Amino acid sequence: MRWPDRLAGMIGGLLLLAVLVPMGLMLWSLLEQGAGVLSMDFLLEDPRQAGRTGGIAALLVSTGWILAVCLLVAVPVGLGCALYLSEQVPAGTRRAQWLGGVLDMLAAVPSIVYGLFGYQFFAISLGLGFSILSGGLALALMVLPLMIRSAEQALRGVPMSYRQASEALSISRWGWVRRILVPQAAPGIAVGIILSIGRALAETAVLLFTAGYVLRQPDSLLDSGRALSVHIYDLAMNVPGGMPRAAATGLVLVAILVILNLLVRRWLRPAQGAWQ
Amino acid sequence: MIGKTLKGFLLVWLLSGCQPAEDKLVITGSSTISPLMADLAEQFETQSGIQVDVQSGGSGRGISDARQGLADFGMVSRALKTDEQDLTAHLIGRDGIAMIVNAANPVTALSNAEIVAIYTGEQQNWSSLGGDDAAITVVHKADGRSTQELFLAHFGLNNDQVQPDMVIGENQQGIKAVANDVNAIGYVSIGTAIYEADAGAPLRLLPLSGVPATLESVDQGRYPLSRELNLVSQGELSETASQLLDFMTDPDRAATYHDYYFLPVSR
Repeated sequence: MRWPDRLAGMIGGLLLLAVLVPMGLMLWSLLEQGAGVLSMDFLLEDPRQAGRTGGIAALLVSTGWILAVCLLVAVPVGLGCALYLSEQVPAGTRRAQWLGGVLDMLAAVPSIVYGLFGYQFFAISLGLGFSILSGGLALALMVLPLMIRSAEQALRGVPMSYRQASEALSISRWGWVRRILVPQAAPGIAVGIILSIGRALAETAVLLFTAGYVLRQPDSLLDSGRALSVHIYDLAMNVPGGMPRAAATGLVLVAILVILNLLVRRWLRPAQGAWQ
Repeated sequence: MIGKTLKGFLLVWLLSGCQPAEDKLVITGSSTISPLMADLAEQFETQSGIQVDVQSGGSGRGISDARQGLADFGMVSRALKTDEQDLTAHLIGRDGIAMIVNAANPVTALSNAEIVAIYTGEQQNWSSLGGDDAAITVVHKADGRSTQELFLAHFGLNNDQVQPDMVIGENQQGIKAVANDVNAIGYVSIGTAIYEADAGAPLRLLPLSGVPATLESVDQGRYPLSRELNLVSQGELSETASQLLDFMTDPDRAATYHDYYFLPVSR
């Protein structure tokens, strides 16, 4: 190998290290502060005394419901919009550029704006109050642009020859979408879902204003329930001496994200075999 | 036909399950008070069976939610302003604001004029205040924080005059900023500052106008920079709401207030 190539390789490696080291340090600091609190009981007990004692069971339930509402809305609607864009709006046209630009702008809107809107619209105007439903819907609004854009790119990435072949075989539009287009784009769509889950689980501002702050186990989707991220924020910022439990909750959140990532990746593996 | 009727009943039953419970209390507002409130609400629920939902978000939200009837009580960590007199304030406790510097900073006291000079940027170096020759890191609170409003009012400052190096939100952020910077000065809840200093954070609480920054001096009403913790309500209190208020101001709850480094109102 020539020396400039070798140098470039080394610089690349160093840059990668520069990214990985802070991430490792961050995990280490969470472990250092929170590992002492982490136990099976921490996962199975409800929080008590504003989270200073007890565990996070109720918060796991609330977070799960909020995420479920968010994905149940964001995935079908997002996929539908992406299908419309990729099937009906040819790439490179003014309409495609304009719609893409609007979606990118919406994706860049600070989350607190979605929080305030969600509070005003879902909680007050629609009368859903501080509830898991308000929270999940506000989150769905927030992740939709991201979901649509990544699914759209995945769908547009499916080779033109497949479309031509399917048309030559006079496969119906629906058959093409359901049997060929979406399965082929599945890995890209999975990335969109994973990014959406990541953003949704990390979100604090939106949820503080919609799903709320209540530590009880929710009985229905119309009950307020505190998400893990809100709990971490509150323990770290407002509760005296809450840092160890905030760190332990952070570790649980990281673990959940990793597990969900693996599951989605596995579930939406690229369709193989049929085309070779 | 029977199937349809059944479905109808099921729908009504499901929808009726969606109605919020009649005797549920909703309390929103100050993020300073909300952990204490959540703790007391949990105790109240266990004792009375009445559900209390506590929501956070800031004193401003406590005021507006109480006004719009979205909350039975708003939590407000300051006294009501003159244009908020349509609401009734129920004093439940007190909290103070402490000026903090890093423990390694040799400065042990600052006059009000010196604090004003630091925050307006007239005084940018510790050396002429009895400290080391180093630039002062001014830590200020973000807009909308009741601690910021109280701080500005106490020192007669306008927020535009303040020249901060760092703007923070919550108390813990202020603690971290000053603990990690030998040349920083900031202000946070006195309870939070005392707790963190006791727990080993490298902080020094500066006396104000010669009065030491301790929980005792706040309780005696001597400490100049202290604030009220209020629950505000509009109109007549419901029976359950006044039950909760009595529960909260019962002297038996004092220990819970101390857990959050607040002082319960003495009856």
